[in-house]
Amino acid sequence: MTDRPTILLPIRVLEGESIPEGVPELLATAHVVLLGYHVVPEQTATDQARLQFEERATNRMDQFEEMLTDAGATVERRLVFTHEAQATIDRTIYEHDCLAVLVPQATGPPDDVLVAVRGTVGVDRLVRLVSGLFADTDTSLTLFHVLDESESEADARTLLDGIADRLDANGFDADRLDVRVADSAGPMNAIVDVANEFDAVVMGESDPSVVTFVFGMRSEQVADQFLGPVLVIQRARPDAESESNETAASGSGSRE
Amino acid sequence: MTSGRGSTQGVGENVSGESPEQEPDLVSDTVTVHEDVELERTIGLAGGLAIGIGTMIGAGIFVFPGLAAGNAGPAAALSFAIGGTIALLVALPASELATAMPRSGGGYFFVSRSMGTSYGAVVGLGLWLGLVFAAAFYLVGLGHYAAAVLAEVGIVLSVSPIIPLGLLFGVGLTALSILGTENTASLQNAVVAILLVVLTLFLTYGGLDALGLFGREAVPEALFPRGYLPVLSTAALVFTSYLGFAQVATVAGDIKQPGRNLPLAMVGSVLVVTVFYVATIFVATSAFGAAHLATLGETAMVEVAREFLGLPGAIAILFAGLLATFSSANASILSASRTVYALSRDALLPRRASEINLQYGTPHIALLAAGGPILVLVATGQVSVLAEVASFLHLIMYGLICVAVVLLRRRNPPWYDPSYRMPGVPALPVVGAIASFGLVVFMQPAAIVIGVVVIVVGYLWYRYYAGTVELKGDF
Repeated sequence: MTDRPTILLPIRVLEGESIPEGVPELLATAHVVLLGYHVVPEQTATDQARLQFEERATNRMDQFEEMLTDAGATVERRLVFTHEAQATIDRTIYEHDCLAVLVPQATGPPDDVLVAVRGTVGVDRLVRLVSGLFADTDTSLTLFHVLDESESEADARTLLDGIADRLDANGFDADRLDVRVADSAGPMNAIVDVANEFDAVVMGESDPSVVTFVFGMRSEQVADQFLGPVLVIQRARPDAESESNETAASGSGSRE
Repeated sequence: MTSGRGSTQGVGENVSGESPEQEPDLVSDTVTVHEDVELERTIGLAGGLAIGIGTMIGAGIFVFPGLAAGNAGPAAALSFAIGGTIALLVALPASELATAMPRSGGGYFFVSRSMGTSYGAVVGLGLWLGLVFAAAFYLVGLGHYAAAVLAEVGIVLSVSPIIPLGLLFGVGLTALSILGTENTASLQNAVVAILLVVLTLFLTYGGLDALGLFGREAVPEALFPRGYLPVLSTAALVFTSYLGFAQVATVAGDIKQPGRNLPLAMVGSVLVVTVFYVATIFVATSAFGAAHLATLGETAMVEVAREFLGLPGAIAILFAGLLATFSSANASILSASRTVYALSRDALLPRRASEINLQYGTPHIALLAAGGPILVLVATGQVSVLAEVASFLHLIMYGLICVAVVLLRRRNPPWYDPSYRMPGVPALPVVGAIASFGLVVFMQPAAIVIGVVVIVVGYLWYRYYAGTVELKGDF
């Protein structure tokens, strides 16, 4: 049994947004941080909205929590009234040290998942997330990399095979694993094109220079164009000291 | 109707059987926690400064120079300096209280929690109406500037368009707040940035000119043409220019790192605007001489800019004046609505008053409770009375804020743990209280009478509506 990866599931709790079909199954082996948030316009005090809507929001959260726990996930919940959704999401990712954020969209049972790999950076977290979510399921994975100008196809194969080996070592059945390399002008378009064959997409955050952590440019565009759920892997937060030690420990352990 | 709640709740109930809401369990740098619900703090230091400066920078520079120079001559600059000093003396204790109680409601919250419900009710209702008077004053100023724009482009109307334009903007602003304006905060930041740039350029040029650098003859003029008393009465009049720093505290519940950002935003915005005001009056009076300036009325600054920089200068100041009076009025309407919410949370006004509109997410009743009376006041068109009533009501609250700090320091209740402690207690807050109450004396009788009536009515309302409500500072 692998560790449950911590995944943030943000839901606009009072605007009719619900947990879409297939998402509880996708997160069945995860530790879900269920973030119900309600964005209040600036002329309204957040507390004012709380007074009026707390009960309704709490009822919705109860339903959502039940959907997730029924599927097998463990759930921690937060209910936040905010003026800025992004600030709230960022803070929650940080406080719970979330490995990934799910952009929730409807999906079938997650049979095929596309894992977009950018490079060697963040591979540890990718392996932790993917093996944690899918090692003990029947889901098949496709590791996908889009070549940039300086890379040869052989480089990409080496990268993806390396990841495949580590997933194998983490208990992920090699038969359910596929690797795929594309040579394309735009990685974003390539991912969107390929994604339509899959039930869900796992991908990394955009460049660190972009301040928007969660729905940062590229993952946002993919989420906009791909109809299924997108899991966005988060970079390690700077002072998450204990967490990175843990990664190193589990990483070296699995390489035996 | 009262049910067993946490021990930190205020007690008693109002005529409708409503009790004060419970205080939060935890207040941190980023969030306020009520049991398992969190309230995100989203306004940073820049946002706080923008609220303070954006509210203040309208009146003092764009409406008062003509009026103030007419009253006090070139010494009007001194009147502004006195106003700024008093504002600073209040901003320090207000900062200390705000870091101990970073909750929405501003001065009302501090006074009610430290001095009891009756003082709180008087101050809270006074603050709401004070903001209403201030907003009406800003809107009349906005009407003057909008009318000057019409005059500049050559539209001549048979009746003065000032009041109708003020009313129009008043309706527009209230509607805008109710229908939900996105990004009002970033808009406010941008407006403040533009204003500061325009004013800095203008004051730099005008200041150099006034000092005789461009070879113009400076007009030698008596500093105190009418003696010393008008300096104080003018300080009382123009004190409306300094009401904005307290507005920062009305959104204290939304400020990130309140322990650091609230004092910096309040004290910083007072210092910034004081410098701008004093410099502006100095430049304006040296451009024309106080007597001539006084004849130019509420839009005197436009003529000052025209004198220095020709038509482009006049247009720049017209534009800045529109922005500034607009943002002051907007900020005051929003603060007034926050105050209504704080009062209704504490059962001093009906709970319904803070109800939120489902479609837009905005407190439509509280906003109408601000916008409605504002329109009535705008219709009077009485610039100086409106300004002085607003000042009067705020000054009473400011005096009590100073007293509150002295009281809390002496009693030192267990919950009182401000992360910023003002220097010079008790001397400075005592001076601040005396100065605040003292300035009231120099106002015109009409303003004092209206202000006292508001306070008496506020007290009677409290006795009738919420006589048994007790608000605790314990949280």
